[in-house]
Amino acid sequence: MSSKPSLPRFAVLQLSGCAGCEVSLLNASEWVEQYQLVYMPLVVSTHAVPKDTEILLVSGGVRNDEDIWNLRRSAQIAKKVVAVGTCAISGGVANLGDRDEVRQMFMAQANRHHLPHLLPKSQPIDAFVDVDLYLPGCPPTPELFMAALTGPEDFEASSIVCQECGRKKLKDMRPKHLLGFQQGEVLPDICLINQGYLCVGSSTRGGCRAICTRPGHPCVGCRGPSDAYIEKESQVWFDRVQSVFERLTDIPPEEINEALHSPQLSLFLFQFTDYMNGNRPARPKEKIL
Amino acid sequence: MTTLRFPLSRIEGHARVEMEVLDGKVVSAQFQAIEMRGFRYFMLGTPAEQMPVIVPRICGVCSTAHHVASVKALEDIFEVEPPQLANDIRELLLLGQLIQNQATSLFIFTMPDRVGASSIFHMDESEADPEQQLSLAQRALKVRQMGTKLITLAGGQFIHPIKAVVGGVTSGIKKEPAEQMLAELQEILPIACTLFDEYWEMSMAMRERIGTWGDDQPAYYIASTGRNRPAFNSQEIRVLGPNGTERASFPPRLFRNYLSYEETEYSYAGQSSYEGQVMRANSLARINLALAMGTPLADGYMQKLNQSFGKPAHPILLFDLCRGIELVYAFERAIEMLSNDLDYEDTAVPYSVKDGEGFGLVEAPRGPLIHHYKVKDGLIEDAEFIIPTTHNMLAIERALKVAGERYVSPQGINLELEKAVGRVVRAFDPCIACATQ
Repeated sequence: MSSKPSLPRFAVLQLSGCAGCEVSLLNASEWVEQYQLVYMPLVVSTHAVPKDTEILLVSGGVRNDEDIWNLRRSAQIAKKVVAVGTCAISGGVANLGDRDEVRQMFMAQANRHHLPHLLPKSQPIDAFVDVDLYLPGCPPTPELFMAALTGPEDFEASSIVCQECGRKKLKDMRPKHLLGFQQGEVLPDICLINQGYLCVGSSTRGGCRAICTRPGHPCVGCRGPSDAYIEKESQVWFDRVQSVFERLTDIPPEEINEALHSPQLSLFLFQFTDYMNGNRPARPKEKIL
Repeated sequence: MTTLRFPLSRIEGHARVEMEVLDGKVVSAQFQAIEMRGFRYFMLGTPAEQMPVIVPRICGVCSTAHHVASVKALEDIFEVEPPQLANDIRELLLLGQLIQNQATSLFIFTMPDRVGASSIFHMDESEADPEQQLSLAQRALKVRQMGTKLITLAGGQFIHPIKAVVGGVTSGIKKEPAEQMLAELQEILPIACTLFDEYWEMSMAMRERIGTWGDDQPAYYIASTGRNRPAFNSQEIRVLGPNGTERASFPPRLFRNYLSYEETEYSYAGQSSYEGQVMRANSLARINLALAMGTPLADGYMQKLNQSFGKPAHPILLFDLCRGIELVYAFERAIEMLSNDLDYEDTAVPYSVKDGEGFGLVEAPRGPLIHHYKVKDGLIEDAEFIIPTTHNMLAIERALKVAGERYVSPQGINLELEKAVGRVVRAFDPCIACATQ
């Protein structure tokens, strides 16, 4: 298998992340027959991305100076660079610490002299190298990994999670307040918004096959906004979520707005454009799987 | 002084080993965790209820353990007791995690060491028969995927599960998917056993080649497993002395009375100890601390291990064999549980958010994991993650030094040392993403 020279070669570079993307890739075992895995420290004992690497998948954010070095060195070797998962696309969960008081404490207490130096902010990889394809998801499903490797253009998915979910939206079940994320009772088959959960599947990019909402957990938006909103300001996207809640519930808009900015959601919702600071252009939707 | 640096692969996360050698003697061995994200910092101010969805992102390999530990810590604060169904679903989640993790460690991380290959996907480069090896990789991934499938069934999402919630779970498991899963587990269990038998044989052959199962001395063991059979959705932590007598048992709330924790300048991961002694967590600790596995096939393997190595057993390469025993156990136990009705109404009890301090314990594949939160005004005021890998840090360094002494002499450094470093570290299966967070 892997020693056949005719198979295209791919590599996986893991920066600062949780390895969930790699675990997902290992679940997509179909690539074993179609690709030659030449570099992936989690599973292969090699210490650099070799020449003639066709595709480089990069997971994790840029959190320390060694990440920068490994990323730049590897990206120049590969023909195509794919940013995999929320951390590589936006810096990910570590961005929850992008607040002055937390950053100061982190920089003062966390750094160790003899180790790679930590950066004040976890950065997306396209702050350092050109990216050919973005594969959002926390993590992307095995199906999405296979699509990224074998032919992103042929991947078929609904534009939003809602269409893949299949729960029924009701007109006469209108909650007055949001429920917390962790309230246990979930009715089967009925839209989670009707039940008072802050589900953002109505404008989150499809392709995950609604793996969270179907068993009963509201969509936290880990795939980011759908094509319709991805190149736009966050406000347009928020307005869309608001209008869905206005149509289906009697929950006050302030309550929705506050919840949308809570850590669990903000983690994912800002991953394509750094809307909050406005210092990064939107990624073109053609490059996003 | 000569400093030897060994980059590490086939472990979770970024780490390296530095060994200092002087006049043919190993002066020191450091295990350096070189990455860090800073969860204990950026969780501050997060609404407490959101923790169970955010903290699985500490580690995509151990996500399920963090998910459940987080829910249990909040239940401790909010003073709620989940119903039996929720405990069953959580146990299934942790069994899925155990299958996924032990299969990964056995077949993807450590099996290549046994045949001298760079990875399970490159086994045909070794001397072994290519056809046989091809089927081996596919079989190994198949066994591993059963863990993921079980996590998906019990936890909703497949890497970062979502179904455990404060007070219970969002739903049970319907009869049809439960039966389907049961049939699949029954079909794959014999494949897992055959693979483990092959692994055991390969390990025996490796022992013949290198002449040891590990030279390190006996140690203390720490686990939160049960006395008579394994427990993963656990309640108390236990410590075993090197001679096999139980030294302590305590609830997670009291861990500071028993364990001390230190940080170093050379690693982003800390080190913990029990009364100043080196201790070991993970599979070998659990097997040493439990009388039986409580399922037929796993008990058979456990007896085979005990007959060959005694109880408690100490050589470090036995960690790997113990993972195989647990892999088989997890299949058997999941089959047992899925044979019962898991689809009834009583999924969760109501709760209200309260301020306070709480502790959530689970036995993760790498050992006891504690989430410790302080909540004020419904927000996280302090979050502490007591990670199993930190319990193993001193043991890893001691074992590295012992391995170094075997291969370093005034005549020179045996090239086998690099392989030995990999074998030692992988036996402990450290998780760097968790250890540093």
